[in-house]
Formats: sequence, structure tokens, C-alpha cells
Amino acid sequence: MKYVVMAAALAVALFLTACSDQETNSTQGEETISMWVQTSKESPEGEVMFDTVQQFNEEYEGTYEANIEFIPRSGGGGGYEDKVNAAVSTDTLPDVLTLDGPNTAAYAEADIIAPIGEYLSDKDDFLPSIIDQGTYEDELYAIGYSESGVGIFYNKDMFEEAGIDLDSLPTVEDPWDWDQFMDLSKKLTEAFDTPAIDMGLDDKSEWLMYAFAPFLWSQGGQVVSEDGEQATGVFNNEDGLKAMSFIQEMQNKNYTTISPSENGFETGKYPMMMSGSWSIQMLETSYQDIDYDIMPYPVSPDTNELVSPTGSWQYAMSTSAENEEAAGALIDFLTTTEALGDISLGNTVLPARYSAAEELEDQVTPQMNKLIEQNTASGQPRPVIPAYPQVTRAFQQTVTGLSFYENTDELQQLLDEKAQEMQTAIDRRN
Amino acid sequence: MEYSDKYAKREKRKSFSLETIRFHIQPFYFLLPAMVLLGIFLFLPALLTIYYAFTDYYLLTPDQREFVGFSNFTQLFSDPVFMKSLQNISIFVVCIIIVQVGAALGLALLINNNKKSNIFLKVAFFSPVVMSLVVISVLWLYLLNPSDGLINSMLQGIGIDAQPFLTSPNQAIFAIVFVSAWQGAGYQMLIFLAGLQNISREVYEAAKIDGATKWKSFLHITLPLLRPTTTLIVFTTLIAAFKLIIQPMIMTQGGPLNSTMTPIYYIYQTGFTDRLVGYSSAMTVVFGVLIAVVTFVQRKLAKEEI
Repeated sequence: MKYVVMAAALAVALFLTACSDQETNSTQGEETISMWVQTSKESPEGEVMFDTVQQFNEEYEGTYEANIEFIPRSGGGGGYEDKVNAAVSTDTLPDVLTLDGPNTAAYAEADIIAPIGEYLSDKDDFLPSIIDQGTYEDELYAIGYSESGVGIFYNKDMFEEAGIDLDSLPTVEDPWDWDQFMDLSKKLTEAFDTPAIDMGLDDKSEWLMYAFAPFLWSQGGQVVSEDGEQATGVFNNEDGLKAMSFIQEMQNKNYTTISPSENGFETGKYPMMMSGSWSIQMLETSYQDIDYDIMPYPVSPDTNELVSPTGSWQYAMSTSAENEEAAGALIDFLTTTEALGDISLGNTVLPARYSAAEELEDQVTPQMNKLIEQNTASGQPRPVIPAYPQVTRAFQQTVTGLSFYENTDELQQLLDEKAQEMQTAIDRRN
Repeated sequence: MEYSDKYAKREKRKSFSLETIRFHIQPFYFLLPAMVLLGIFLFLPALLTIYYAFTDYYLLTPDQREFVGFSNFTQLFSDPVFMKSLQNISIFVVCIIIVQVGAALGLALLINNNKKSNIFLKVAFFSPVVMSLVVISVLWLYLLNPSDGLINSMLQGIGIDAQPFLTSPNQAIFAIVFVSAWQGAGYQMLIFLAGLQNISREVYEAAKIDGATKWKSFLHITLPLLRPTTTLIVFTTLIAAFKLIIQPMIMTQGGPLNSTMTPIYYIYQTGFTDRLVGYSSAMTVVFGVLIAVVTFVQRKLAKEEI
């Protein structure tokens, strides 16, 4: 019993000292801002964040002090989100947090994050895709700190071997349509007796929505209606069918494969790969033998409109932030041209501001510049809706399910079924 | 005098009974830590799950949950994915019991003699059990890859076409049965081995004298005498099999076309990815009841058998 009392007393004492520590901080006149991020100090991205927060603390010494904390994430970002979910239940969210683009609507709808538009300087300088991704019901709730993009990586040596004139390849101003792309794929598939392109169809995760929705958008279709209320009659309409038919044809003609070899493009097995800027980093560091370049997304022959994927993690302010001015100042400081330029360079990702893109132009590889060029010209964010998790899963299952169907009627049936799943999820949130 | 004697006696009995009570209560002090932990981490969550099943609990707005009656339950019976997951787990459970228990018995028979080399085999067969399921799933993902996986290269070597395995809606669940059985059989093998070594040599000798072949003595001696062991193994395998989640989560994400979606995986996904805690609680309750029924029936059958 004696020990129990002693242990309890010790615990209380520790607790009290911990409290009084915080007390002294605020009596010195410094407002503390707590912040959670999903990347560690050891990652290039996290390093820039931690450094920028330190600069912030120096700049605002005596006024604000930001404490940045890394919350480890596992698998598909689960660990970090679990922590946020738990903090929502116990009302212990930090003042500033990071969140993935597709979570914006759900967090805003649930009143977890607060509008931050008024705290950001030079808002027009942000890429439209960054603003759209963070906007829910006409208010800006979150701001991306980098952008991402996907292009068609191609192996120059293999193209020349197959007799393809590299000068004839498409550009952002003059993209190829699906038919031209299919001809190219056919030539390559025949030349190397292997699928022409690894489209990442084995991924079965958010990639499938992120990378494949642009085909639908290029056709003029949509996953859900503009107001986010309708999926039936939208996803499964004629445009949806046409876009999915293209992806299906690529699969069924074996121009691409649902079970690609690991690092097939990097090791010279596949002549093409659909991938993002992270692959540039990998090719530059680990596979320097591959002479590659990047071409833009193929476009729908009906519209000829180039659309490419975008999306990123973002900063947001929680509704439980005690001092909104302070939290707003921190987010603003983290999204200056300089800070965003540093993060893009450090992590080989696309910049989130036009001004940062201009500054980086001479400092990145030509391939990276092609992605940046495509991104600023044609980037489109994924739908910002609270029922996003179910909608994206239905979309992903459509893409992975395509190869199991042969004719158009069956395909229509698959689209109807998946659109209905999306609709059920949307209705449930209303 | 007589009275006081009686009083003293009663007094004595009373104090004695107080002591007995104390004596009987004492063990519970030792149980207390375990009971508190069980209560907090098992019973309380289970009760809360039942409560949440009747609410529209959304993960991000815990304060706004409202009582919705049976609406979660009516929805889930018309949820094609939940129904499909029940169908999948039934296939999985039946197959895994046949394959895994059969394999375990086969391996046990194979190494049930006192040769020195068996130590190596025992370790080899048992090693998958101590490996993490996640590691095993990733490993088999590579082995089963249709374009350059080891298994398909071997199949092609003997003239069989490459199989899609995990990317085919018809094969994926069986590929997962195979991987799961491969991983788990070593454990049951050890239990079977213990059972086999408990069977007296004399019975076999007697049978041999009577002219029984190896096959006959297996059929009429080994199998019947292994029955208690088999019951135990089938029991534990069955309960573990219902909890299938890691293999499909890593290897197929429930696909293709939900052909490897399992109830536990769907419950997890609905609760934590889709944030519909109320709905996923309702599924948990229904699935829990189903497992309880299966276990109950199985116990009845097992009792009749023994």
C-alpha cells in the first residue's frame, strides 16, 4: 500500500511539474503552437519542414513558439490518420496538422479543420489545383505544400530500337490521343514481345484513382457531379464508358498488364511506365543506365483536352486551435515561395506555387520540368467530397475489374454497379 | 449457561463464516488485475460495439451520434459486399480445414519416427509459423506473380500455362487458402506429432501380428486414436480461420471483384477507412453472432463424438 501511495504521489508530482513547465512558457509572453506532421526529420520533406519551423521560431521569437512533432505512419498513411481520429474523439488535436488531399472534405464537414484563406499571403500565386484540393463549400480549409504529377516515362533506347522517331513524340502543347497512343503501344508490344507500358495496375490503391481519373476527365466525364451529390448517371454515362473502354482495351490487348514485373521499366524490360516525380528520383539515383524522358498524358480523341493528375499532403488549422492568428501565421510561413521551393527541391516533387516553379526551372532535371509544365497546364484535383473513401474504392475496383469483362454490355453493367455503390455512400453522408 | 453457550457457538460460527468469506474472496484479489484489463480492453469494447451498432456513429463526429434503431442491420443484409464476404469466408474456412489439417497430419506422419534427420524437417516445416504473416504475404506475392514469379516459372518448366493466381476472381481465394495453410500447418503438425507419439506401440504390434497392412493400421488405429487431437485442431483452426484479414489485405486488397473480401477486413475498412463506425459495429455484432452459432454447433457435435 505504501508503495502505491508513493507511486501515486510521484505521478502527481510529475504531472504538476509538466503543467507548470507549460505555464512558464506562456507567462514569458510566447504563444505556443503545436503541430503534427506525417514525415520524419530524416526524410527530405520532413527536414525542410523542421528547418522552416525553426526559422519561424527565430523570426517570431518572443511572440510565438511552434512545436513540431512527427507522428509515424504505417501502410497507406494509416498510422497518422489513426492518431488524428483518436485525437478527434478525445479532443486533443494540435493547432496545426497535415492531411492528405482527399481528406479535406471529410475533415471540413466534421468541423475538425477551420478555414485558413485569410491568413495566407499571395493566394493567387498558388496553382489552381492546390486551391481546389483544399476548398470545401467555397472556403479554403487546407493548403498543399507541394504538387505531384504523373507522366508517361519512356526508354529512349528501346524506342529507337523499335524504330520510333523521338522527334515525333507528343508535347504538352500537342498531345497524342488514345488511338495514337494505342498504335505506339502496339508497335512496342510487338517489337519487344512484352507489355508496352507498366501502368501500375497492380497497385490496387489510391494510385488507381489518382492516375486513371484523368482519362475520364479528358473524355469530359466525371466521377461525381460538380456539387458532389450524384454518381449514378454521372460516372456510368457515355463518357465514363468510353474512358473505361480505352483502359480496358489497353489491358485486353496486352499493351499493359495487371501484374507487371517489379521495377520492369527501371530494369529495361518495359519501354514505358506511367509514374510520378518519385520515379525521377529513383531513376536518377539507382538506375542511371536508363536513358529516359517523359511525355504527357494521352488525351481523348473526342475532346483533345490534356488533363493530368494532381494531389498532395496539405497544412491545415484545427478548430481547436487556441490562437488562430498564431496558427495562421505558422501556415503562412510554411507556404512562402522559398519554403515551398525548398520542399520541392529536397523531395523531388512539383512546386505548389507558380513563383516557386519559376525559381526552380533552372535547378531541376529536364524531365522534371516536363512534369511541371504538364502540371501547370493541365492539373486537375480529385473530387472534394466527404464520402471520398468509398467513391475512390469503387473507382479503383472498376479499373482493376475491367479486364474480367469482354463486351460493352458487361462493362456498362460494371459501371452501373460501381456508380450505385458510390451513390449509396454519398447518400449515407447526407 | 445454556444460553450463553449457544450464543458463543453462534458467535463462533459467525466469525468462522466471515473468515471463510474472506478466504473465498482472497483469490479474487489476484484475479483483479487481469479482470480489470480484460474489462477495459475486451468486455467494455464489446459492449460499446453492441451499443454503437444501433447508432450512426461517424468516426470524425463522435459527439453527434444518434440512435438509429435497426437501420444499420437492415442495410447490411442488402449490402452485396458484406454478403460476398460471408460467402468468401465460408469457402475459406471449409478449404483451410481440409487443406491445413490434412497437410499437418501428413507432415506429422512423415516425421513420426526417431531418425536424427527429422530435426531438420521439423524446423523446416515449423519455421513459417514463427514468421510474420505480413512478411509471408509479401513473399508469396512475389512467388505467385504471373509474369516472373517462381511458381509460374516452375509451372511453365513442366509445360503448364502461367496461372493468374491472385489476379483471377476464381483463383485468388484458393491461392490465399494455400498460402495460409502453408504458413499455419507447421503448428498443427507439432500437435499431431504429440498425439501420434501418445499412441502405444503395442497396438500397432498387435495389429501387425494380426496381419494388418500399414494402410489398414493407419485407418483403424491411428485415425480413431487421434480423434481427440483432431477435434482440438479443427476447433482452433476454425476459430482462427474466421479472423482472416492480413493475407487478403496485403496480397489482394480484397479483390479482384471482392473475391477475397473477408468479413473482418470489410469491418475494418468500413470502420476506419470509410469512418462508418456505427455500420461496421453492426457488422461486427452480426458476424460475432454467426461465429457463436458455429462454435456452439461444433461443440455439440464434438461432445457427441467423444
